Amino acid sequence: MIRALGFAMLMCCGLAQAQTQGQSAAEAMTLLRRIYQATEKLSFTGTFVYQQGERTETSRITRLAGPGGAVERVEVLDGMPREIVRTRDTVRCYLPESQTVKVERRTDARAFPAMLPEQISDLARNYTITRGETVRIAGFDCEAVVLTPKDNLRYGYTLWADVNSGMLLKARTFNHKGETVEQFSFAQLAIGNVPRDRVKTRHLAQNWRVEDAAVAPANLGRSGWTVGAELPGFRKIIEVTRRLSAARPAGQMVYSDGMAAVSVFIEPTAGRAEALRPGPSSLGAFHIYTREVANHIVTVVGEAPAASVQRIADTVEFRRPQ
Amino acid sequence: MKARISALIDDQLERREAARFLDELRAEGEVRDTWRAYHLIGDAMRDTRMLSAGFAARVAAKLALEPTVMAPSRIASAPPRPRWHLLSAAASLAAVALVGWVAFGLQEGAPQVAQVAPPTAPVPSLTAQVPPPESANDYLYAHQGYSPRNSLQGVAPYVRTVSGEAGTRKR
Repeated sequence: MIRALGFAMLMCCGLAQAQTQGQSAAEAMTLLRRIYQATEKLSFTGTFVYQQGERTETSRITRLAGPGGAVERVEVLDGMPREIVRTRDTVRCYLPESQTVKVERRTDARAFPAMLPEQISDLARNYTITRGETVRIAGFDCEAVVLTPKDNLRYGYTLWADVNSGMLLKARTFNHKGETVEQFSFAQLAIGNVPRDRVKTRHLAQNWRVEDAAVAPANLGRSGWTVGAELPGFRKIIEVTRRLSAARPAGQMVYSDGMAAVSVFIEPTAGRAEALRPGPSSLGAFHIYTREVANHIVTVVGEAPAASVQRIADTVEFRRPQ
Repeated sequence: MKARISALIDDQLERREAARFLDELRAEGEVRDTWRAYHLIGDAMRDTRMLSAGFAARVAAKLALEPTVMAPSRIASAPPRPRWHLLSAAASLAAVALVGWVAFGLQEGAPQVAQVAPPTAPVPSLTAQVPPPESANDYLYAHQGYSPRNSLQGVAPYVRTVSGEAGTRKR
């Protein structure tokens, strides 16, 4: 009798525990969805700090949400001045020192798509999504959600969001050792109405050099370019032709798992001034891998571990189309 | 004794005998001194570039100072070994390395000596890093437009792709 009672109690405990875990996973997913929605819907202005290795930079950011989509402006306050303004279908990067403005227009109707609810659910395939500790950031009480990768092909992320609005206050990327790869953290933030002139560039840029990326949808596979074996969990999200700078045509394929993304750039070797340096390199939180394939330079760039970037680079192939 | 040393140098000793003799060589003493002297004579006769005096002793001393990497795993339950044990292990390694090096220099493929594998520490396979492309910022910026981080954080992630570091800027 006592044994039976003990067994029943044990069962109850196990059940309760499993239920708590399930609940917490569901809660974490709900919080994650809330963060994506807040990014889409909120207007705000604030100052955030970006940290990566030894680099620390402060930037001012303003976002004005509206029925036709949001307009955003970010201005880096440290080091070389630069400003980026993003409207519904165009990104402009202002570089006052070189009097250059880089323009990138979206050709597809989807413009800058928000993550669809099912795409957010798909993240659970490659990441274990759990709740983190509640902390205070820039005066806001924040709850956290942790995305722990299920393999070592991607990084992990901790996201802290305002309990009331869901606004993302801090985002940390960590590697398999738990070390910080990069971090964004608001130092000051005001959520609410923003005057329209706050999202306009402060540069006249009248006589500046304009570098248009001339992005156009493409089928690089038809020209003979393929990525042999896709990285587990990553799928191709876009394939375009574009210009990298004034006169550098390139093909670009982007692979993503919903959090991380890796771009494959293909450029003809002919007419390139820069010497080819094949092999792995890194810049900031990005890993880069350069190869030469069939008289083309293949440059793979990713916000993913070096091994993932190299694995994609190694499988880039050219076969003369029949 | 001297005949045996000579035979070993000329690779004329039987394998088992050679092994026994190499054991003797591991201990400091007359045998080892003779071994060294024979090589010195050989080198002088062939007009080989001379090594400075006490070269072998210095190599051995440096080897003895090196941490003895035996295997990557640690045996937790083994009793602590006395220090002289470790030192003698290092010394014998030094002797083997020395013999291997000398014998190799004398004749092509001295079999029994060449088979003594040098102690190998586990070396991680690293692909040599190259400097990032000069136009790396162009790639990062072009990539950022399609990063899923944009739907999570808006325009903020762009700051990491437009670096203010002069070294990576296009000139």
